[in-house]
Amino acid sequence: MSAEHGAISRIWNWRITAFCALILLAVAIMAVSFGPISINFFKVFKTLFDLPGGSTGQDRTVILELRLPRVILGALVGAALATSGAVYQTVFHNPLADPYLLGAASGAGLGATIALTSTHHDLHAALPIFAFGGGVLAVFTSFVISGKFFADPNSLLLSGIAVGSFATAIQTYLQQKHSAALRPVYSWILGDLTSATWSVVAWSSMYIAIALIILFTVAKQLDGLMLSDEEAYSLGINPKRLRIIAVAAATLATATAVSASGLIGFVGIVVPHLVRGLTHRVTNRSLISIAMAGAAFLVLADLGARTLLSPAELPIGVITAFVGAPFFLVVLRNRRKVMQ
Amino acid sequence: MTISVTDLTVRYGEKVVLDDISLDIVHGKWTCLVGPNGAGKTTFLKALLGMAPYSGSIKDRGQEVFKNHNRNVAFVPQSPQIPQGMTVAEYVMLGRSKRDGWGKDSLGSRRYVHKVLTQTHLFGMQNNLVAQLSGGEMQRALIARALAQQPELILLDEPTSALDLHHQISVLNNIELLKENGVTVISTMHDLTLAAMFAEEIVVIKAGKILLSGEANLVIHSSELKGAYDNRIDVYTLDSGRPVIIANKEVNN
Repeated sequence: MSAEHGAISRIWNWRITAFCALILLAVAIMAVSFGPISINFFKVFKTLFDLPGGSTGQDRTVILELRLPRVILGALVGAALATSGAVYQTVFHNPLADPYLLGAASGAGLGATIALTSTHHDLHAALPIFAFGGGVLAVFTSFVISGKFFADPNSLLLSGIAVGSFATAIQTYLQQKHSAALRPVYSWILGDLTSATWSVVAWSSMYIAIALIILFTVAKQLDGLMLSDEEAYSLGINPKRLRIIAVAAATLATATAVSASGLIGFVGIVVPHLVRGLTHRVTNRSLISIAMAGAAFLVLADLGARTLLSPAELPIGVITAFVGAPFFLVVLRNRRKVMQ
Repeated sequence: MTISVTDLTVRYGEKVVLDDISLDIVHGKWTCLVGPNGAGKTTFLKALLGMAPYSGSIKDRGQEVFKNHNRNVAFVPQSPQIPQGMTVAEYVMLGRSKRDGWGKDSLGSRRYVHKVLTQTHLFGMQNNLVAQLSGGEMQRALIARALAQQPELILLDEPTSALDLHHQISVLNNIELLKENGVTVISTMHDLTLAAMFAEEIVVIKAGKILLSGEANLVIHSSELKGAYDNRIDVYTLDSGRPVIIANKEVNN
């Protein structure tokens, strides 16, 4: 008779987390190896860890200056979007919630459009700052409009939708008025990782790391937010405070991701449901796994984006939706089977 | 050992929901709050939990309740938020967070959850989704989570309102299990017959004020109880001595 006799099994199996980490590592090495110039896996591995026998010259530059920052940025953005999506879904009791729900996307879109349509060309370089500011400002406005500072998740959700529509309206107006900017705005909205350099990785990793550390710290308590406030309180959490911390951190992660890579859709909804669907567990103990799965998903999608039509690039949002949607449907279908 | 409620007033905006209530609730007993809809019973429970903004004082073992975050109080709401996609095991395990820390999944906790699932006849359903439980099963899952919490006090808001007669008794028996372990039980209940059967103390609330309170048997047979329900109820006593309370048929004038 095992020691586990007379006990229910663990809610979360940490082997799943380890598995996600392995997948992320494998996908990352693959993504650094593949491209217009293919480089042997072992050489890539040796180059990355500075072991003897690594690549030199042009290959080394391709690996370390082009592909590696792009893979890392993709992983950061994927982790940020997937984690924020999972957190929003928990906080708003809404399985369809995504990281862009509170106006972060439309706000960032407006910020980016302002930068791109500006007559001062210096402002184009400041696009990430404008997008970041727009996203954060939109979410903050949603907070203020919803009144009692988050007394009720639904009122925040509704004011987020209103703020989002308002920002989109202004963005469309600006876009039409400056038709020359239409194409860059459009391509930004579809999202891409082509701007990845070590400096982008440096600033975005800082904000995303702060946000993710906060979210991973409160992850287990977030499960309590799936209940009513009274129940959550009786289980020992302060639901109002926890909601504000969670939404603020998720917004920081989302706004950073958006300003680094544009609006990449679908990751925030698909990846959390994928992990939860495959494990049949909704608990936020899975948040680290969701982050790593999101990272792997986006790195893989970006690999597709830059190789499928090589040397041309597809917008990454096209890949995430094209691959994500059918995969998502399969998981949903299997989940329903399990439920019956 | 008591919970001392002194001059408790709760307002929602302009509306006074509880009006200057004073009451002593004895630990280790089952106290039942009864009264018409809108009397303030649920608000009283929330105040006892420490979640309703109140004036006056509620002292549990000498400490003001909203300041004391170490109290282990289980709360069973009338209409719980059903978490989508959550399994019964995850749901009941949430009850361990106060004892064990969030998400620890310790062997002791998993054993305890196994035990309460068996007690509430939910064992075997631990991988079912909470959202797909029947009304009776959901109520038992709520009670199981409360049992898993090993609370010192449990607050239940209409624990039997959505249940058929058989399940009403089985849920109330589960609550009695808690009381045997020395847990204080405070519940609201619409069904006065069930209140008389299970509770030791009954508090009658109407329009935010306490009309009367005391030992269940005395309260049930007092004439003021009928007054609280505008003389629209009748109290009968069965041969076994058990009181049965039923509502009058309304007469249209």
